Amino acid sequence: MRFLLLNHIQNAYQSLRSNRMRSNLTMLGVTIGVASITTILALSAGASKVVSDQVDALGGNIAVIRPGASPDDPLQNLTQPKIGREYAASTLTEGDLALVRSINGVSAAAPMMILSGTVKADQTAPDNTPIVATTPEFSDISGLEVRTGQFIDDVINPDTAVVGVQLSINIFGTEDSIGKTLTIRGKSFTVVGILTRMDDPINYNQVDFDTAVIVSLYNGKLLNQGVAQIQQINIKSTSVSDLSQVIIDANKALLSSHNNENDFTILSGDQISRPTSQLFYAIAGVSAAVAGISLLVGGIGIMNIMLVSVAERTREIGIRKALGATNSDIAAQFIIESLAIGIGGGISGYIIGYIFAFGISTFLTFDPVINWQIAAIALFISLIVGTFFGLYPAIRAARKDPIDSLREYN
Amino acid sequence: MTKPRLPPVIELHNLKKRFGIGDAEHYALDGMDLTIKKGEFIAIMGPSGCGKTTLLNILGLLDRSTGGEYKLDGQEVSTIGPRRQARIRSHQIGFIFQSFNLISRLSVIENVALPLTYKGITRTKRLQLASDMLHNFHLGEREYYMPYQLSGGQTQRVAIARALVNEPSIILADEPTGNLDSHASHVIMQELSDLHKRGNTIIMVTHNPRLTSYASRVITMIDGHVDTDTMILPELVKTIAKRPLNGTKKPKRKKRAAKKKEPA
Repeated sequence: MRFLLLNHIQNAYQSLRSNRMRSNLTMLGVTIGVASITTILALSAGASKVVSDQVDALGGNIAVIRPGASPDDPLQNLTQPKIGREYAASTLTEGDLALVRSINGVSAAAPMMILSGTVKADQTAPDNTPIVATTPEFSDISGLEVRTGQFIDDVINPDTAVVGVQLSINIFGTEDSIGKTLTIRGKSFTVVGILTRMDDPINYNQVDFDTAVIVSLYNGKLLNQGVAQIQQINIKSTSVSDLSQVIIDANKALLSSHNNENDFTILSGDQISRPTSQLFYAIAGVSAAVAGISLLVGGIGIMNIMLVSVAERTREIGIRKALGATNSDIAAQFIIESLAIGIGGGISGYIIGYIFAFGISTFLTFDPVINWQIAAIALFISLIVGTFFGLYPAIRAARKDPIDSLREYN
Repeated sequence: MTKPRLPPVIELHNLKKRFGIGDAEHYALDGMDLTIKKGEFIAIMGPSGCGKTTLLNILGLLDRSTGGEYKLDGQEVSTIGPRRQARIRSHQIGFIFQSFNLISRLSVIENVALPLTYKGITRTKRLQLASDMLHNFHLGEREYYMPYQLSGGQTQRVAIARALVNEPSIILADEPTGNLDSHASHVIMQELSDLHKRGNTIIMVTHNPRLTSYASRVITMIDGHVDTDTMILPELVKTIAKRPLNGTKKPKRKKRAAKKKEPA
């Protein structure tokens, strides 16, 4: 009895090899399903890793304040994008900014006012070019580095701007645009600095700084009919251990100045990236469901082929039974065969999935993640598909009557 | 000669096998009584549809009777579970079929090694035993042929090798020469007869009355029960068995042997 498993495996190998074309096509069904699941998981893990990596890289002393109460339901987070808020006035004001700055333990705080409008120089920038109005502290808090020139400053001429390197190329045709003039909503600005390329459009500031133009808060207000429309306040505490106290104090101070109206949200650490990663998980979930359907089709393919194989080998089943095979021997033989198809499809699907993921990632700004969880999921899925869809044909094979089987002509 | 005193291997008492229900009811075996002792070579004859093959299937535990008793080695078969029955088929019973029933996608040696699989013997050991067995049947050079590359006689010899590789105590043969010409039939019957001489119990179903001369006991069946039951003198069996393997003029020799007997 000890060696029976090995025998069944040799047997399955032999019978799969004797029908090579058929086995490979059946395997292909599972391969496609597992490959798409692997691709989706690898890419979505890569995307959410980008966001969490950034938060980690900034250190544990960053918190952001956003207007509006945070919805508790994560699904609502996804289904209610910020579109609605764009038309409403932000509940955060310059007064709030001053209040936060005055809290003990806050080493820096910077507002973010994101505007949209036409940015023009030699060429017009794309419509969705973000215009960020902020204060000089912003570069320190968000880790923006200036490649050439300097960041916006309180002392220099306020009509200056810092541009992202890609925007500089887009509108000036060069990376080196210091001293050149661009117009935002018809107002002229002189470029004083160019940012280092960051290559991460997905970040907690929700702005791709490579294509953004940064102006001072003063000018931001001028462009917005004199009203500060602050979408986010970034806070940096003096040390990591201070952060929780800072958040509590900021919450208190803001609540009292807002007449106890909870119309803002303070986020730190993982919370910052959560809405983004939740969005990715939701997208991944939906596409995984689609991939699951292809896997189901692949599984049905296995069942189909196994049923054909059982019918074809009815006589063989009879012979084997006459020679002393038990029902479970016969069932095991067929189960292992379908399992082999499943696992074979799973392994090739895993490899092809990663080839795909890396291929797609050349067009994206993040890399797919390779971890054991995805490998385990791929293997587990293929095991389940192989067993589940092989079970019925195997049981049918095992239940065949030896005499009827021997009478069969083929 | 201690043969007659050996305990019976197979004991049938009022064995019945019914097919169909209601109007279509039909007894393939209708009150079969039979006792078979170890070392007997039994030829079962009878017209088509008299239940020979059904009997063989029941004896080989491939089928179950619907009534009566079947004791194998003193144990009532109906009390044995399907798993144990498969084990008995694997260890004690060897099947030889009219249509050979080799698995066409396996080579000759793999076919012969097949029954050993279900005994749980390692692959290397299996192939070794199968190879030894094939050499016994002068098929050593055909080990890696596929079944369709063999002649009918060779195929049946492979099938016999397969039936014997487990060293079964009972060999069940269902018209083993039914698909063979007379020369090949003769070779096959020689093999069976040799097996018998080595002490194996053989139960063979046949249509050909000439083949009964190899047997030690001939049973004719009619309508699902025993009609006649004749013991053949062991001397006769011996003389027949002594004939050379590759004798092409088999019928003549047989007549001569018969003529010699008559005056004596």
